[in-house]
Amino acid sequence: MKSTKFTKFTEKEADAKWWEIGNYFRRNSIWMLMYCTGCGAIELPPAMTSAYDMERLGMGPMATPRQADVLLVTGYLSVKTLRRIIYTYEQMSEPKYVVGFGSCTINGGVYFDSYAVINRLDYYIPVDVYVAGCMPNTEAILNGFVDLMGMMKNKTANGWVKYHENYEWYKANQIQAVGEVHVHDEFHE
Amino acid sequence: MLNILAGIGIAFFGFVLQTSVAGFNRKVTGRIQKRYGPVWYQEFRDIFKLFTKRSVTHGWIFDFGVIMAVGGIIGTAMFVPLTTHTLAFAGYDNFFIYVYLIAVGMLGMAMSASGSGNPLASIGVMRALTTMLAYEVPFMIIALTIINLTGTSSLTEIALAQQGQFNWFAIALPLGGIVGFMSLMGMLGKKPFETYIAPAEIASGPMVEYGGKQLGMLLVMHEITVFIEVTLFMFLFLGGAGSIIVFLIKYVLIYTFANMISSVNGRMKIDQVVLFFYKWPLIMAVTQAIIAIYIGWVI
Amino acid sequence: MMNSMNNVEEIIAAVEANFDLLSSDVIDKYQVGLDVNKNEIHRLLIFLKTNGWIQLSYLTAVDWIEENEFELVYIVFNWDKAVHIQIRTRIERDVEKASIETIMPIYPGCKYYEREVHEFFGIKFPGNPDYHKQLILEQFDDLPPLRKDFDPLAYAERKFPKRDYPDKFTNLEGKESEQAKRDVTHERVSKLRTGGTKK
Repeated sequence: MKSTKFTKFTEKEADAKWWEIGNYFRRNSIWMLMYCTGCGAIELPPAMTSAYDMERLGMGPMATPRQADVLLVTGYLSVKTLRRIIYTYEQMSEPKYVVGFGSCTINGGVYFDSYAVINRLDYYIPVDVYVAGCMPNTEAILNGFVDLMGMMKNKTANGWVKYHENYEWYKANQIQAVGEVHVHDEFHE
Repeated sequence: MLNILAGIGIAFFGFVLQTSVAGFNRKVTGRIQKRYGPVWYQEFRDIFKLFTKRSVTHGWIFDFGVIMAVGGIIGTAMFVPLTTHTLAFAGYDNFFIYVYLIAVGMLGMAMSASGSGNPLASIGVMRALTTMLAYEVPFMIIALTIINLTGTSSLTEIALAQQGQFNWFAIALPLGGIVGFMSLMGMLGKKPFETYIAPAEIASGPMVEYGGKQLGMLLVMHEITVFIEVTLFMFLFLGGAGSIIVFLIKYVLIYTFANMISSVNGRMKIDQVVLFFYKWPLIMAVTQAIIAIYIGWVI
Repeated sequence: MMNSMNNVEEIIAAVEANFDLLSSDVIDKYQVGLDVNKNEIHRLLIFLKTNGWIQLSYLTAVDWIEENEFELVYIVFNWDKAVHIQIRTRIERDVEKASIETIMPIYPGCKYYEREVHEFFGIKFPGNPDYHKQLILEQFDDLPPLRKDFDPLAYAERKFPKRDYPDKFTNLEGKESEQAKRDVTHERVSKLRTGGTKK
């Protein structure tokens, strides 16, 4: 698959009026990818349905990574899942954001001494907002999303730019934990 | 030249109208599900957000198919009458023009979807074509009945033939009105006939590999397609519109009614869709045609 | 209930007549446990399979590190009588010699269970064509994880780096720890209800 050539995203471009108008549209219509990795995903259905309605903020679920803006990493990540998460993250179209749910993405959570679960998500993909808790309450999740919208307004939600700038560092960490990122199964070959 | 500008104006008006009505209907769906919905201009924000993203391309045919789809559908929308007096190209509002020109848009989308190389996209396109095969047959029978009764196939003249005290074809041919409404729901892709998108099943069907600008253009194409189809239904069955206010009222009512029915239904499988359309709607359409043409009972 | 207790006793009696059990126990109305020697396993499983226990529910191992033995547990299930039977054997714990013949000719579905047991304990199953292939763990280069002498904390710290917290959360030298003061208060408060003595 070819992709468009990445042009570097400069400070001047971030301050342009056009990008600020784009920020208004981007922060009011966030589409999240319904890929819920761990046990923290149990707190997402109350946020999506009538209890704490997410659609009035403009957020909605989308089915494929190419259409989504936000990747929610809810909970622990084993090595197998991490490989597929990186594969998914690189497929999303930019600008893209990552929200880390639960304590397992921050520093390992209850699985800090497990032989199969990674401890710190920040080393492998750039994370914009963390929501702490095990699980976080649904109101805390909505607070996290509102914080993400505030960060978009202040132009500080630049995880995707950091990924391109520090690509070698992220890649070295990924290979150390996961091996090569390419997924070997019958769908991809 | 003035005609072309007026046509583009009508297409633009249709896009703005349908996007606002779609946003309003998301609020209606939310209220049915006992929650607040988004604001009424939410769909505008979605489409403009998609235009500001950097997108990934899969080759030349992928981009060209999307442009062909949008261009084809704008070309179709230029011929749509707004009221019985407001047309861009007078005399060119034949019913069969729409039937042929909508195919250009669908062909563009099918081309670019299969150019992306994802097998789920091909499954989605196949399902869309199968659904079209299902709902077109009863719809064509009823449309041809109406054309036979009024003796002309121009939309504005069909609308003018329905003026009078409740002479609309939805009431004069009652079975035909029901069949026409069911075919409209198949055309719009609303539940229970939503198989061609099927969000969680085949990962949104033809739209699986789109992101960013191409998806924005596809959404624009979808909105204008809905505008054309609802206007077609309105002129065939509900007597057209004499003034723009009546047009707006009828448009909003039709779309909201279809949306409310779709929000309480599940999604059918593709073989159930085909079997459904070939059973009762086909029987009703044929009965209605026989009654109206040969026996002559028109209310 | 008397009927099925009789049922279960009949099963033990039938097995004991043909094989020498080391021990047997009735766990509850639907579960029986049998201990046998390592060389009786295949005959016993064939006997049970021809008598109605057609499903192998689970195959796993337990690491008795003090006794220097592995214990293999086979659980088979009968659909007509609804009785689980656990068959337990002991094998040596040595890394080179821990192995037992595969039961694939009897229950073909044990293929993946034996792969999992090999991956997590290191027991070999000669006769199973691909018991040494990797099933679940990826990028793994240490002892098999479910052994009791494997240290998961050391492995996790070696492979998956953690976050360092800034120093203000650790106890600086010379200052009294706030948590110690809170512990003293909590201890005093928890003794109040019982009049100063720890209940």
